Amino acid sequence: MKKIFTLIVNVILIFILVACTNGEDSGKIKINFWHMSPVGSPSYSPMRRIINNYNNSQDKVLVTGTGFSFWDYWDKIGIAISSKTTPSLGLSTIDDVEARASGKVLFNLTELIDNDTSDNNIDLDEFRDSQLEFATYNDNLYAMPFSATARALYYNLDIIEEKGFSEEDLPTTWSELKTFAKNFDEVDSQGRITRIGFDPTYGNATYHGWLWQTGLDFFDEDKNPTLNTPKHAEVLDWIKDFNSEFSRNQLKTFGEGNELLGINPFASERVVMIVDDDGLNQKIVDANASFNYGVTTIPIPDEDGVNVNWGSGFSIEMYDNGKRNEEHKLAAFDFLKYLMSKEVQIELAIANGWLMSHISAMEEYTEDKPILKALLKEVDNARDKIYIPYAPSWHGNDWQPFYNAFLDGEKTAVKTLEDARAYYLRKKSNYEATH
Amino acid sequence: MIIKEELKRPWWNKRRKDNLKKGIIHLVLIITSFIFVFPFLWMLFTALKTPQELLMGSDSFFPKNPMWSNFSTAVKSIPFLLYLKNSIVIVSLVMLGTIFSATLSAYAFAKLKWRGRDKWFIVLLATLMIPLQIILIPSYIMYAQIGWLGTILPMVVPAFFGGGAAFYIFMLRQFFMNIPKDLSESALIDGANHFQIFWHIMLPLTKPAIVTVALFVFMATWNDYFGPLIFLTDPEKWTLALGLRSFQTQFGGRYDLMMAASILIMLPTLIIFFSAQKTFIEGISFTGIKG
Amino acid sequence: MAKKTTLTSLKKQEGIMGYLFASPWILGIILFGAFPFLASLYISFTSYDMIQAPRFIGFANYRILFTNDDIFWLSLGNTLYHVLIAVPLGMVVGILLALLLNNKVKGMSIYRTLFYLPNVVSIVALSLLWLWLFQPSFGIINEVLSPIYKLFKLEPLGWYSDKSLSKFTLILMGLWTSGGSMIIYLAQMQDIPTSLYESAEIDGAGFLKKTIYITLPLMTPSIFFNFIMGLIGGFQVFTLAYIVTNGGPGRSTYYYAYYLYDQMMTDRNMGMASAMAWILLVIILVITLFALKLNKYVVYLGEEN
Repeated sequence: MKKIFTLIVNVILIFILVACTNGEDSGKIKINFWHMSPVGSPSYSPMRRIINNYNNSQDKVLVTGTGFSFWDYWDKIGIAISSKTTPSLGLSTIDDVEARASGKVLFNLTELIDNDTSDNNIDLDEFRDSQLEFATYNDNLYAMPFSATARALYYNLDIIEEKGFSEEDLPTTWSELKTFAKNFDEVDSQGRITRIGFDPTYGNATYHGWLWQTGLDFFDEDKNPTLNTPKHAEVLDWIKDFNSEFSRNQLKTFGEGNELLGINPFASERVVMIVDDDGLNQKIVDANASFNYGVTTIPIPDEDGVNVNWGSGFSIEMYDNGKRNEEHKLAAFDFLKYLMSKEVQIELAIANGWLMSHISAMEEYTEDKPILKALLKEVDNARDKIYIPYAPSWHGNDWQPFYNAFLDGEKTAVKTLEDARAYYLRKKSNYEATH
Repeated sequence: MIIKEELKRPWWNKRRKDNLKKGIIHLVLIITSFIFVFPFLWMLFTALKTPQELLMGSDSFFPKNPMWSNFSTAVKSIPFLLYLKNSIVIVSLVMLGTIFSATLSAYAFAKLKWRGRDKWFIVLLATLMIPLQIILIPSYIMYAQIGWLGTILPMVVPAFFGGGAAFYIFMLRQFFMNIPKDLSESALIDGANHFQIFWHIMLPLTKPAIVTVALFVFMATWNDYFGPLIFLTDPEKWTLALGLRSFQTQFGGRYDLMMAASILIMLPTLIIFFSAQKTFIEGISFTGIKG
Repeated sequence: MAKKTTLTSLKKQEGIMGYLFASPWILGIILFGAFPFLASLYISFTSYDMIQAPRFIGFANYRILFTNDDIFWLSLGNTLYHVLIAVPLGMVVGILLALLLNNKVKGMSIYRTLFYLPNVVSIVALSLLWLWLFQPSFGIINEVLSPIYKLFKLEPLGWYSDKSLSKFTLILMGLWTSGGSMIIYLAQMQDIPTSLYESAEIDGAGFLKKTIYITLPLMTPSIFFNFIMGLIGGFQVFTLAYIVTNGGPGRSTYYYAYYLYDQMMTDRNMGMASAMAWILLVIILVITLFALKLNKYVVYLGEEN
């Protein structure tokens, strides 16, 4: 009898313990975090570890992370915002924080930071103004910059040295770039290009990237389209005439022949210098490249050139779906502080292959990695594209048809800019008619 | 005399003519089928290349050292068996629901006269004319309101109510309409009710068509990544088609693994297609009578 | 008297039965379809950026589309071009393929599977492949055609990078998936009674006569079905242009559905996108209704034996 009695008591005790642990578990505040490292991707395990470390380091908050592939992520977060089923925290793009902030779907971070008295509060000095500016709306911060990209000039060191040059000979101005690049062009017996020194349309170079280096842009402070100065047209002509000894068809074929099926022109050593972002470095590393390469500042115009490149980045935001209580908000903020801390920013960089936004974290992280270090230097000069409500893709969908028509020789630079400007103005008036 | 007649017979006789015809047909078939097979061959070769070959390019169509290991790597990279299970569950339910609701509705449109039938038919066709993306957000909000988000219900339940089945209902309707009136009329006179006619006459006569619908539904649901992406928040419930997307990263991703996984995921459809051919080829006909 | 009552009650019963059989689908439309469908109509009269709630603006979206938007008309034109060429061409190719495979040749199942293969392969894989094949300078297709180019002293065709050829190139690429309609035609043809062919042969009919007078007429139900579905699908053409040409060159492959997609995803203008969707729906519906009326004159159904 005694034995049975003890057994029953033990079983009941165990049940109580289990119930208690469950109870403890359910006492935790549950928040969820959406990111871009789905199950099966290379960054899945490291991201999971980062989240688990947070969960194990304290017992008040339980974070569940869900990753979606980069291409699907935007559908997911978009529909979540529309239907008010957003996660507690998620990634987004930093350049259009304004749209979501004015739509009242984001929590005010300035409030949270100002009211926080802990010693692991977010240190805003560790983040660049150029990025914080984009995340600010009505003088309040509504997102934190998560990653920071930049565009730089990649160069194939092996081929450059083969031709008798060294890194000291690397061009720093547009005209130097042109003369230097011509040293490397190669054509086969049938006149087809087999190697090119540089082309301003390859890689991740853009018209607005070149334009910014002259101090100009597509829009003025009032978000009206400019595109109406001679300098705008000069830049276009410079881009088109860079490799004018070849026909546009030849250049396109050479470019396409590389991009198809994922072959990268720089990684396959067909282009000696190329403008690209930090993603290219990751691609080359992933594919075990066998050649020596480096990264330097993109050359600027000979006169009155501005050292600036197009850099963007992801943001991390706390979503307000109208049903969060104060407790939940503070829990999410606590996790945000964790993600924004120096050590975790380094871990995130390693996990995703991104350059994160935390300045000293990245300085430490890239100390022994020369290429990343050079890229990081370019982030200091990086600038994001401004958000135009009536033309969110002003540099992409809207501009590309005009740009391509120009490059194909269908219109002059001046006409192209005129037509593009008229197009933006019309979009603006249509937008105003419906808003 | 007979021998002389034999010698007089022309070289171009009927048997030779038939063989020549068959030969030409074979030739045309082989050339045309090569054109159609080419994409699959290319997928296979991409699956066998190394990331280096893909990124650096090797100017060749054929992989240098076929990486058959890519197939096993692909399977190990994602929770293949889990996703397989989920795919099977969802696909089976959707197939069941679609066949159930599509056959019933097709019969109603084809063989029964009821008020407003033709107007409802126009509504049926209209549902095919609106892009999915436009109704996605309101649908999503609707499911959010009734609490079905995160479950497989939004993907499975509408199938039992003809959701996404307009194409099949239209197709089956054509089939049912081709079955002569006499069959059902005589059954009616014999005292049968419509359910009996449906079950004992209509369905058996159109079994091949139904098998066809089953195959098409299988293919569409098996390969659908968008539905699971939007409605399945819990990665434990993801399907193969959605899991495949993880191979594509921001930086291009592992196309070699992705092709390998795609080929594996394609296999069930091909196997089912090949073996079910006899049934549904005979089936997708609009005349229910033979000879 | 007794017979009359049976007939009327049968008719009544049929009326109720009709609704009963169609009830799952009708319920589905009411429960799952009505709200999203009608919501999208409402949204077309609003300004909706998918972040804040839709704001009613009346007919503004429609007015802008019809009077102040070049691209609306451009994209509509592109889509109309596609429908006018792709639908008939697709039907012809499907029928031809079916005729080809309707012979008692050994290994028919294998050939059929091979022809159906592109429909099973992922569209992304297919698109990448076509980009490669049709590449003007080093794609296989131009390589194979180069003797012809040399003979007629022509410039190699630009295919998808040539403004005037791009839409047609995409249509050619689309023909690769003709296996789908081919299967439907095939099945139809397998069921044509061989006795008809035999008696025709006795009367001295050749292949061409047999096809024109027996095969094709008896195939009209499936031809008609594929025609309607081809129309509906053709007006919504999008995927290939999205993956292969990005709507270019020079917006030559910028279809209506592509513009709609951009309005929604890029410009965040859901109201405008919904208006575009409903305009398209009306266009397709009107044309389809017109085509349905033709049904009576064009289709031979076994029922009317």
